Formats: sequence, C-alpha cells, structure tokens
Amino acid sequence: MNAGSPLLYAKGLQTGYHPSGKKIVVTSGLPDLVIGSGRLICLLGANGSGKSTLLRTLAGLQSALGGTVEVGRAAAVGGAMGRGGAMELADCRHLSPAEMARSISLVLTDRVGGANLNVYSLVALGRYPWSGWLGRLDQTDRAVIERAIVAAGIQDLRHRKIHTLSDGESQKVMLARALAQDTPVLMLDEPTAHLDLPSRIRLMRLLHHLTREMNKGILLSTHELDLALQVADEVWLLQTAGPLHKGAPEDMVLEGVFEAAFAGEDVVFDRTTGVFRISPEGERRIRLAGEGTIAFWTRRALQREGYAVGADMRADQLVRIAEEKGATRWILETPDGSRSFGSIADLLRALAGVRKD
Amino acid sequence: MNGQLRKLPLTGLLLLLVLAFLLDISAGAVRIPLHDIFRILLAPSPGDDSSWSFIIEKIRLPKAITAVLAGCGLSVGGLQMQTLFRNPLADPGVLGITAGASLGVAAVLLSGGSMATIYAIKELSSPGSWLIAGAACIGAGGVMLLVLVLSGRLRDNVLMLIIGLMIGSITLALISIWQYFSNPEEVKDFLLWTFGSLGGVTGRQLLILGVTVLTGLVAAFLSSKMLDALLLGENYARSMGLTVRRARTIIVCTTSLLAGSITAFCGPIGFIGIAVPHLARLFFNTSSHRVLVPACCLIGTILLLLCDCISQWPGTQSVLPINIITSLVGAPLVILLLVRKRDLNVNAYR
Amino acid sequence: MVRNNRGHGLLSFFASLLLLAGGCRQRAAEYAPGRKINPRISVRYAKGFTIDYYEGYRDVSIFDRKAGRTDTLHYLLVEKGVDPPVNRPGLPVIVTPVERMAVISSMHIAMAEFAGVADRITGLGSIQYVNSPIVRAGIRAGKVKQVGIDAGINNEAVIAMHPGVLIVMSNPGTGGGTYKTLTDAGIPVLPDADWLETTPLGRAEWVKLVAALVDRDETVETKFDSLARSYRRLADIGSHASPKPSVITDMPFKGTWYVPAGESFMAQFLRDAGADYHWSDTKGTGSLALGFEAVAPVALTADVWINLGNVDSKADVAAKDNRFSSLHAFQTGALYNYNRRVNDLGSNDYWESGSMHPDLILADLIRILHPGLLPGDSLYYYKQLK
Repeated sequence: MNAGSPLLYAKGLQTGYHPSGKKIVVTSGLPDLVIGSGRLICLLGANGSGKSTLLRTLAGLQSALGGTVEVGRAAAVGGAMGRGGAMELADCRHLSPAEMARSISLVLTDRVGGANLNVYSLVALGRYPWSGWLGRLDQTDRAVIERAIVAAGIQDLRHRKIHTLSDGESQKVMLARALAQDTPVLMLDEPTAHLDLPSRIRLMRLLHHLTREMNKGILLSTHELDLALQVADEVWLLQTAGPLHKGAPEDMVLEGVFEAAFAGEDVVFDRTTGVFRISPEGERRIRLAGEGTIAFWTRRALQREGYAVGADMRADQLVRIAEEKGATRWILETPDGSRSFGSIADLLRALAGVRKD
Repeated sequence: MNGQLRKLPLTGLLLLLVLAFLLDISAGAVRIPLHDIFRILLAPSPGDDSSWSFIIEKIRLPKAITAVLAGCGLSVGGLQMQTLFRNPLADPGVLGITAGASLGVAAVLLSGGSMATIYAIKELSSPGSWLIAGAACIGAGGVMLLVLVLSGRLRDNVLMLIIGLMIGSITLALISIWQYFSNPEEVKDFLLWTFGSLGGVTGRQLLILGVTVLTGLVAAFLSSKMLDALLLGENYARSMGLTVRRARTIIVCTTSLLAGSITAFCGPIGFIGIAVPHLARLFFNTSSHRVLVPACCLIGTILLLLCDCISQWPGTQSVLPINIITSLVGAPLVILLLVRKRDLNVNAYR
Repeated sequence: MVRNNRGHGLLSFFASLLLLAGGCRQRAAEYAPGRKINPRISVRYAKGFTIDYYEGYRDVSIFDRKAGRTDTLHYLLVEKGVDPPVNRPGLPVIVTPVERMAVISSMHIAMAEFAGVADRITGLGSIQYVNSPIVRAGIRAGKVKQVGIDAGINNEAVIAMHPGVLIVMSNPGTGGGTYKTLTDAGIPVLPDADWLETTPLGRAEWVKLVAALVDRDETVETKFDSLARSYRRLADIGSHASPKPSVITDMPFKGTWYVPAGESFMAQFLRDAGADYHWSDTKGTGSLALGFEAVAPVALTADVWINLGNVDSKADVAAKDNRFSSLHAFQTGALYNYNRRVNDLGSNDYWESGSMHPDLILADLIRILHPGLLPGDSLYYYKQLK
C-alpha cells in the first residue's frame, strides 16, 4: 500500500443518536474525512464537542445519522500489512462486523474486567477476526502476537494478570491487542487520559513509529494540544457549535484556527510558543536582551510575573543576560542602577521588591 | 500453552469423576456389593436377584446419569451467564428461566382457586410426569422468548439481566398466589417438586434429557470463541468482529435449553450453576472457554454425583432433597477454597 | 365445748357462699351445680377424648399428647337455659343442642350425617368437595356457605352465620392463635383430633362428640355400637385369614415414597384385613418418608397395590412413572384404588362417608385380599384399576 492512500473515507457524515425514535444530532456538516495509510491524525476538541461520537461512528460502533463511511477491505487471510497497491473501499453498512474487524481495530476507554485473563491471552484475543472456529491460534497468529507484544514494549508483562497492571501498562496491553488484530486502521479514544507525562510521550512516539514503520493509518482523539501539535500529521479540530477544521497542525496554528476555537477571556493561545498562556497579558513592560534557550525561559518567567516582554519596547527596566566566568548572570538595569543575579528566582524576587517601592 | 501444568488437575479430576460415579451407584438404602453391581450392569443374567437388578438398572443408574447430565448442563449454563453479563453472581436461572419452569409446574400441580383454565388441565388427566415436564418446558421457553423480545432493542446486556430478574419476580409472585389458594396436598406436592430430585427420570425421559443437554453442551462449546470475545465487553467484542446481538441470542437460547430441560425433569437445582464456573477457573487458571466448558462439565458432574451420594446416606431409609445438599455441601466448599487461595482477586470482574 | 377457730371459719365461709348462691340465682329449674350423673356415652376405642356427664352439662376432655406429657383441654357443653357451673370458670362453653354448626373437613359432614343432623351445617371449609346430598342441597339453596380452612378462614363469614360451634381439624393445643378472633366474638371452636387415633374405630368414635353437641347421645351410641360390632366381626375374619398377601400402598413422588407407619389407622386396617404389611411394626401414627429404593424390594414383589391416589387406570399409573410397570402387582392387575365413589364435583366419598363406615372399607379390603372369604364380591369404595 502506498503511503497516503486512503484507508477510510467519510463523506457528508452526520453523527448522533436516535433514542426512542427521536433524532439527536451531535455533529453535522462535516467535511470529507480521510484516514490515509502512514498518517497519524489527531482529533481534537473540547469535552462535549462530540469527539467520542465521531470516533465511534467512524469505527462502526454506532451507525451514522447521515452520510457514508467507506473502509478499505483487508484480505481474508494474513492481514493487511505490506500489500502493494491501493485498497478497494466499501461502504461500512455493507460489511459484516467480521469484515470490519479486519480493517479497523480500536483502543477504547472501556474498563476491561477480564475475569482472570493474563496479558498474553488478552493480546491473543486480538486475533479474533483471523483465528479458527474455536479460537485456535496457528503459527502466523502467534508470530503476529509476538510482534505486537514487542512493538508495545510489554514483553515483561506477558504472564501477569490484567487486574494487577497499572494504568500505563494496561493501556499498552490494550494497544498490543489492537496491534495483534493487524488492521490497516487503528483508532484510539483518549489513549493518554490516565497516563503520566513520560508514558504519554512514549505512547505518542510509539504511535508515530507505527505509522512510519508499519504504514498504519492511526486516528486518535485527545485534548492534549501540545502533544498533538508535535506528533500529528494532520489535525481535525472539532468545535462544539462550529465546523470541523482539518489540516496540518502548523498551518492551523498560523491560520489562527486554535485561537479562534479556544477563544475566551482567560484562554489565550500563544502562536509563538505554541502553548496556551495561563497568565494574563502583562501591563508592566520590561525589555529583555538575549537569545537562545536562556532568553526563552527568562521571558516565560517574566511573563508569569505579569510582564510584557519585548526587545525593543519602551520600558525603563531592562534585563540583560550575560556570561561571566562560565556562569550565567542576569543583570537588571533600572534608572536607579544595575544589579546582577545568579538565578531567575533571585531576579524575580528583586523585581518584586522594586515593585513594592 | 500450559499443557504440562494443566495435565495435573485434569488427571486428578478424571480419577475423581470415576470414583464419584462408582460411589453414587453403590450408595443407597439397599446394600449391594460393588462386584455384584458390575455383574448386573455388564453381564446380566436371568438368575440375578430381580430386586437388585431393578434397583441398579431402574433406580441408581438412571439417577447417576441424570446427575452427570444435570451437573454438566447447569455448570455450563452458569458459565455462559457469568461471561455474558460479566457478573460473578450470575447463575443459569438469572434470566428467570427457572422461575418460568416453576410457573409451568405450578399451573399443573396447584389448582389456583377458581382458575378455570388450570381446572381444565386437571380434568384432562392426572398430572403424569410428562405433563409436569412439558409444562415446565413451556414455562421456561415462554420466559426466554419474553426476555429476548423485550431486550431485543437494548444494546446493554445489563438491562437484559434486569428484565430477566423482574420477570422472575413476577412469576414467583404468581406462584405464591396460586399456593395461597390451593389445598394442603397440592401445596405439599408442589413444595416437594421445588426441592428437586434426580430420581424419576427414566426411559424415554432420560433420552430426551440426554439429547437436549448434549445439544446445549455442544452448542456452548462451539460458542467458545464468542464467549471469549465477550469477556472484554460488548464494544470491544463488536470491534473484533462479533455480531453481538446474534451472539447474545445464541447464548441465551443455549442456556435456556440447558436450564429449562434440567429444571423440567429434575426440578430446580441451585448452587451448581454459580459455584462450578468459579471452581473451574480456580483449578485450570484460564479464561479460555475452550478449556472452561469441558472443565465445568467435569467439575459440575463430580460435585453433583457427590451431593447425590450424600443425600442417600442419612438414616439410609429416606432420601434428602438434592437442593438442600448442594447448598450445604457446596457453599462451604467454595468458601474453603476461596479462603485458602488468597491471591484469587474477584475484583477481576469489575 | 372446745372452739376450733379454723373449722368455725371454714363453716361460716361455706355457709355464706351457699346463702349468696341461693340468693343470687333465680333459675327456672333447680339444679345442684356439678353433680355427676351416669354417662350416656362411653368412649371405648378413641383415646383422644372423653365425656363426663353432669347435671345440666357435659364436660368434654380432649387430650393433647406432647412428648410424654398430656395436656387436657376441657370444653363445657351446657344445656340451653342452664347457667354454666361456677366451679369451672374460664372454660369455653358451648350451648347445646347446637342448632347451627360450621365444620371444616369432609369427615365432619359424615359425622353429622351419621348423627342425622347434616341439615344443621351452615358453613363448610370448602364447598368444592361434598358428597352428602343434604349438604349439597343446602349449598345450592344458599344455606351453606364456604368459610375457608386454617389460616385462610374467613372470620367475618363465620361470625355472620353465628353458628353454635365451629369444628376444626387441628392439634388440640394449637387452635388458640388461629381462632382467637372467633372465640373473642363468642363463637366456640372445638378441635377435632380424630386423625391422631391409631384405629379406624377410634377415629370414627369421635362422632360421639357431635352426638353430644346435638343431644343425640343415645341414638348415636346405639348406631355406633352396631358399627363397632360389624367391624369387629369382619376384623376377626380378616385377621385370621390365611395366606396373607403382601400389600404396598400409596404412590411415590419422584424419589420419596410415603407409606403408613405401623401405628396409623391404615396399618390397623391392613392388619384387620389379614394383609402382610412390611412396615406393620414401625412406630409412628403418620407416614414414613422413605426413598424409592428403600421401598422398591417390597413394592416389586407385593401381591396387591392399594390406595394409589389420583389415578384412574393402569395407563395413568404408568404415565406417572414408567418403572411402575415392573411391579408384580401392576403386571397381574392387582391395583385397587379407593376412588370408586367420586361424584360429578370430583369429590371422593371415601374421605367423607368412608370415615364413618370403616366396616365397609374393611369389607372391601378383605374382598380384595381374600376373594371368596366374604359373601358377595362387589366393592363399595374401592375399584380395580384397568
């Protein structure tokens, strides 16, 4: 399969529920959505924007209220990896769950009870669409399971019972199961929700690697903007009452999409740094002379203290970063004189003292 | 996978099975030596004591076979219900199937005051054993259909469980009303039925029970893959390719067949369905239903055969109802095992 | 004269009592309260009750046997117009002769028939199963109403018909709680414990209680004497008959076979009829709950099978359990059930008039077990199942 060839194609999709006859629309007016092979797509949106519904509709767990979802048909035996040529797309509604299972695998937020399952058995369940009548595993199945375990990095956990795993380990096991299912498309619903920062980074890095090495098309929903911006090939931003924007993350930053989407009185997206600023725009001005990493972090500290920082501003205070005898010094120049500090903390304390006067 | 490890409990249990069967055949009011039992069974001759032949062939052997069938059927039914609803307390009657069978039998045995339709059944003939069994089957089947129809549109299995429990409550209330208006002999007959009995299933009835239970067991075994997938919940199961609604229907029908037919011929027998799946998981340390279905058959059979032996011993002249023995013997057994194997975490069900 | 203070005090006490008694009572007839008179009935076979006769009233003692101890319950049957005796305070009083009575069981109907007062029944435990033509006519005319049984008794219906007595089937001692509402309302409740008797005659003799209630003591005594003579004559013939065929009774349900215990009146019937009954020497007045296997050796070889229950033909018997067809009695057709006299309501007269005609039942049994021993061969309550 060529990189970029479409694995899933959603046209004119309208998602929602119809409990007891009534139609409740969650999202409508969506543009055409394509998951291509070798691409990592992040679905971003605030809580309640309809991310989960959209993901579940694309995955075939619930039916769409309108529009179509087409999925590439994987071959009957052996899996979809490494086949050349584009895949033929078929409407989801004409596919049986068994056929869908060979095309899309999922990692959900559902808690899995498991009743005495060990990790290997759980990962082995991923071979469900491929294994025989009674669930017997042959050599190919075992090889795929091994690969999945190695890819997810859970070799040491093989014989553990799943209720003894930590959240991070559990997440990796569910990912391994999805990998064992060996589908061209992989969808994850909020996979980083319960993970600590290093685990989050490792997971994203793993997903990125999967797209590059195994040509999978991966869609994951998250509200971690910073991680998404770093690792996504494409971002789909879903707004609660607005349209879905899609594109390369950097394009969307520069187009001001994020600012507009998350605009609010106290929520400001800083285009330069790519983060949401917590502190309000400072009213006091201060000049900063310096470049590189130290200047970057000094600016952040000053901004947290409520200063508007710039290089060429009209301000009566200046912070200069200098190198003296191999150590960094921060020099504060005010109309009253100049003082030198060995750390940002000292600098900030001094500034606070100046303010008091 | 753990082939070598599994062989140990397996051989032990098979030996226990043979022992339990022999014990059950030897236990009874009349003392018959074991070698005579074998002779009567394997090489019958006209010179044999006719009452001994009658006892072995017409009383003890059918009872032992019934115990085997009931032990297998109830435990596998319980296993399926526990997996489908991911609930360690589920038993084969949890969907109200056993209550439905009781309702059918109550309709035949109790006069229900001035209920004209039931009167008509009594007018037809005195309730023979076929009529009781048939009524129980109809009752169980009726409840099964009702549950399936009502929960047809429901996606969540837990809702089906609740519907089943509610239907069970309604049927039990109806039975209580009929009991209230019946005369003491009728109430006593019905009460005796509710105590359960493995005896009395002979000839053609045993054949029918055998066929239905074996069908149910085979169907359950072939559903092993479905059941494995359901362990992770309906969403994951669907994403792995399982048509959840069809799987649910198959599992409910299979369990109804097992629980319904056994209750029809033997009356309600409790405890086996809940406890044996846990024992099977304990001994074989696996969640794969390919292994658990046969394991449940093995352990369920042994347990019920032993309970049947015990029910024949006290005082040797009378027989204690099987339902009482299964609870009195089985419950402490499970407690003992759970307490000794402290690392078994039942939180695994969540 | 030496003055004995105590004696003097007692004398004056009694003297004043007499004066008081004499002064307070204004009676039509002059009776000395509590003077014992000759009994009009003698209870010879029943062990559960006795009747003592006094001027103006009868004292019925009903014995409640509990684990070695025997409690005695007294009921005073006081003639109409007579005041209850003052030296027996607190005892339940029934005014005789009773004009209206409510009864619970079929046997009570038979007892009333025997005493000739079936028309005095105004309430029945269940109007579903009745054989007596008089009572059936009463039901049709609306004069006899249903009152329910045991805990389901309809207190209001009973109180509304205000019977002179309610006769119930119960253990003598336990009647208190269930019928408190009725006794509080002034309706006397008399427990009938005939089912605890160990002989058929003893059981039937409780009819003399009904006789005492309706002041037909002599009539019933004579009638019962003739019944007893008839029974004893038959029992003499039967118990000396030879050979004695082996008998099995009742039908098992699933694994349990209830057979009469050695001291029950059914066992006595079998002894008097000249049967070989395997459990004749066991203790107990009720039934033994035995396993099918325990009974099987006896049942397989038994010559005759009686009292099969709710079946009407050999096919019915086989339908209950196909193993019954292996029984010798089944194969020879020696199946005799007591449901010959079942009326259009489904009511079996064996339970009603049969309880008051043990001689007819005994005659049936002798004809079944020893054909030709008695003249004639038609059965009254029993029939052979075909």
